[in-house]
Amino acid sequence: MPRDTRKGGRGFLERTTAGFVDAMEHAFYAEQPARADGLLQHMDARVKLVGILALIVSAAAAQRLSVIAALFVVTVALAALSRVPFSLLLKRVWIAVLLFTGVIAFPAPFVTPGEVVFQLPGFGWKVTAQGLVSAGYLVLRVETAATLCVLLVLTTPWNHVLKALRVLRVPAVLVTVLGMTYRYLFLLLQNAHDMFESRRSRMVGELNGRERRKLAAASAGVLLSKTFDLSSDVYLAMQSRGYRGEVPLLDDFRARSLDWAMLAGFAAVSVAALWWGR
Amino acid sequence: MNNSNGAGPVPVFEVCGVTYRYRDVTALDHLDLTVNAGRRAVLLGANGSGKSTLLRILNGLAFADEGTVRFCGKLLTEDAFENDGFGMEFRRRVGLVFQNPDVQLFSPTVFDEVAFGPLQLRLRVDEVRRRVSETLEMMEITHLKDRSPHHLSMGEKKRVALASVLVLDPEILLLDEPTSALDPKSASRMIDFLVRARGGAKTIVTTTHDLDIVEDVADDCFVFHEGRIVAEGPPAQILGDTALLKSTGLLHSHLHVHKSGEVHAHSHLHRHEH
Amino acid sequence: MHIPDGYLSPATCAALYGGAAPFWYAALRKSRKLLFTRMVPMISVFAAFSFVIMMFNIPIPGGTTAHAVGVGIASIVLGPWASILALSTALFIQAFFFGDGGVTTLGANCFNMAIVGSLVAWLVYRAVAGRSAITSSRRVVAASLAGYLAINGAALCAAIELGLQPHFFKNASGAPLYAPYPLSIAVPAIMIGHLTFVGLAELVITGGVVSYLQRANPALLRFTAPGVPMPQSKAQPAAMESAWRAARPLWTAVGLLLVLAPLGLLAAGKAWGEWSARDFQDPAARQQIARASGNVAPPAAVPTGLARLSSIWTAPFPDYSPPFVHAPAFGYILSAMFGIGVIILVAVAAGWLAARARPAPRTSARTEET
Repeated sequence: MPRDTRKGGRGFLERTTAGFVDAMEHAFYAEQPARADGLLQHMDARVKLVGILALIVSAAAAQRLSVIAALFVVTVALAALSRVPFSLLLKRVWIAVLLFTGVIAFPAPFVTPGEVVFQLPGFGWKVTAQGLVSAGYLVLRVETAATLCVLLVLTTPWNHVLKALRVLRVPAVLVTVLGMTYRYLFLLLQNAHDMFESRRSRMVGELNGRERRKLAAASAGVLLSKTFDLSSDVYLAMQSRGYRGEVPLLDDFRARSLDWAMLAGFAAVSVAALWWGR
Repeated sequence: MNNSNGAGPVPVFEVCGVTYRYRDVTALDHLDLTVNAGRRAVLLGANGSGKSTLLRILNGLAFADEGTVRFCGKLLTEDAFENDGFGMEFRRRVGLVFQNPDVQLFSPTVFDEVAFGPLQLRLRVDEVRRRVSETLEMMEITHLKDRSPHHLSMGEKKRVALASVLVLDPEILLLDEPTSALDPKSASRMIDFLVRARGGAKTIVTTTHDLDIVEDVADDCFVFHEGRIVAEGPPAQILGDTALLKSTGLLHSHLHVHKSGEVHAHSHLHRHEH
Repeated sequence: MHIPDGYLSPATCAALYGGAAPFWYAALRKSRKLLFTRMVPMISVFAAFSFVIMMFNIPIPGGTTAHAVGVGIASIVLGPWASILALSTALFIQAFFFGDGGVTTLGANCFNMAIVGSLVAWLVYRAVAGRSAITSSRRVVAASLAGYLAINGAALCAAIELGLQPHFFKNASGAPLYAPYPLSIAVPAIMIGHLTFVGLAELVITGGVVSYLQRANPALLRFTAPGVPMPQSKAQPAAMESAWRAARPLWTAVGLLLVLAPLGLLAAGKAWGEWSARDFQDPAARQQIARASGNVAPPAAVPTGLARLSSIWTAPFPDYSPPFVHAPAFGYILSAMFGIGVIILVAVAAGWLAARARPAPRTSARTEET
């Protein structure tokens, strides 16, 4: 987002660094509830993945606000049964979504043509029923889908999510790529973070615009060179242990009766939502 | 080279006149080296002296610009690795532990990491699980098995990296700076593992610039300088040659690592771990 | 520009997953062919890199910063196919793990940013850079343009997808079910942010990185410059001259596009200006709308272009219904133009690839192995 940095030439460094820290924190939070004891944590990752995706699709497809709201309630119930703290959802999802999508939906009641419900005094702006409903659709849908997605991540170790993708017929090579990307993401984040921090500590005086742009580009360039060396070395390390292009994966999933019951539950809710939400 | 085996020395690696250039730098310059079976060789050299490059060449990951490398009498060339049978066999028998564990730990969890090699070599799944569990146990990292590599400490990463190679039970182990970036306690723990991991009559080639560990990991000592071997002999002899160590930057690099400001050359020579 | 879940109808999502699928398939096949077994680590690490680049705050002229996508760099260093895979991977992790962009809309986001972005960036870069030397400043210009046009192409796709929603998906009473703003609002709202801030950020970072690499690590630029020698020496003027001439038609086309794109938006100003004036009157609403348009907050001040436009308007704030009457036509024409453009680009790309069966990149293996 564009913001003014004229005051301090290092603003962009600070904000970028803050972004890195935030991403690393997110990963940290994500790994805490995954170990907690709850309904979703006990489920087979494949069932969970398919079930939650089905609910997300239902939320996207439903055409009645009441049905989407019901799905949201189901989601919140799932969160409660999985002991995912509401404070975490509130902070990382509900408020975040409201701030973003709520703000986007805000003008909708004014610009959507339809029945005028009331008129803002003074401005003469007209609010339409269709516009209000439309804003409701957007906010509810986004809240529901985002909560579901976060629930999946919060209750499942990331490597299980990845391996579970195999049931969706995602090729093993792509699952490997995803796993490796996630792993090296943190290495590069840390790398970039350290680079920016050291830049910041060494910086005396102000940089002009041109210098700042040069600094940003050079940082990206340094990171790119490191990325390239890293990918070459990782390749050698893989080769050294016998890699020749194929990646067999160990699957250690066991679906139990609870999983089948939950799968049936997810299916029932999704079908119901699709039926009532037509 | 003195070797007291009754049957006479059996060379595992024979390096003959190898030259390797990296961009504009000559990393190896007409280098000759023989490593015999069952011996523990250490390649001593300051950073950037070409040790890592040599290990990669010994592991068939890089190929010399000039000269030849033989493994058990067979020439190591890119063509040799085109043959899957030889490639598999070689990868099973020769393991390399990289200096930077981050490049070696590319899997989502420690368990997956250690299982990578056995899976690549097409071992049966239950065999893979058994071996991985045993290796984790041996390296005392069972408690880490579901962790992501990016959450591990440097010492833990190095142990996992070693485990990921030891799980294949290689006859020949190549170790690139096994104690670099470790605090003294983790480093001595690493040496314990290495001494223990040796188990049978393994051939081990270790590179290091850490004079402290030489006597623990080496029978034969080779001193590297500017892409060549400038001296070889038993550890006691090499470590006693202060002039040699200074001229090759080893004493300097050692002090540089510890930053203690004191010169401890003699105490290092007599240090014993256990 | 990461479209979240709920903004696009399932039908649109399915269509865009379908649209992305053949590109993913082709990208996977091409990458395997070009990179062999090297593909997995290469794509993975570069995907991680793309992710990190998306978090950079890029200082842009005028003293502000914006986020870039980095699609220009990825495409220039890796070529379009590997870039498609790397960016799609990064977007996948953003969607699933970080909740940035939706799961149902992942196909759309990949289509816009990874696929359209990579192909546009690569074609523009190849066309403008021609056969110029690796270290020539023409490559910096080419890269900057490539980044700018790629991100704007991607934004336009996203704008069209969002803008089509209320035209097609309404409930019985006529309330839009998904993104509520029609093309007449969505396209300008998104494009203003991208033609200015995000586009500039992408321009700065793409050009800047290429210029940095020319000095620090020119080997990385070699992959998308086949046949161009790695000249530490100066390129021969004669060769430069002929390369310049050969690329001239392409240059002209790109130049025309550059001139016409803002003109087109200016011409359309009347249609969407009414909306802008109305909602831009309220600073909060203005901010919100432009944000809606692609994750980009508008500048602290009203964009100068808009301010100038608003002075032209004669009718201040008419009723709410009229603006949409002519607007969709504008949107459809734009989308049609863009659709045709993409098809041409893809055809050119396919032809180029077919004509040039490139040997495996063994050549670069040497320098990478320390």
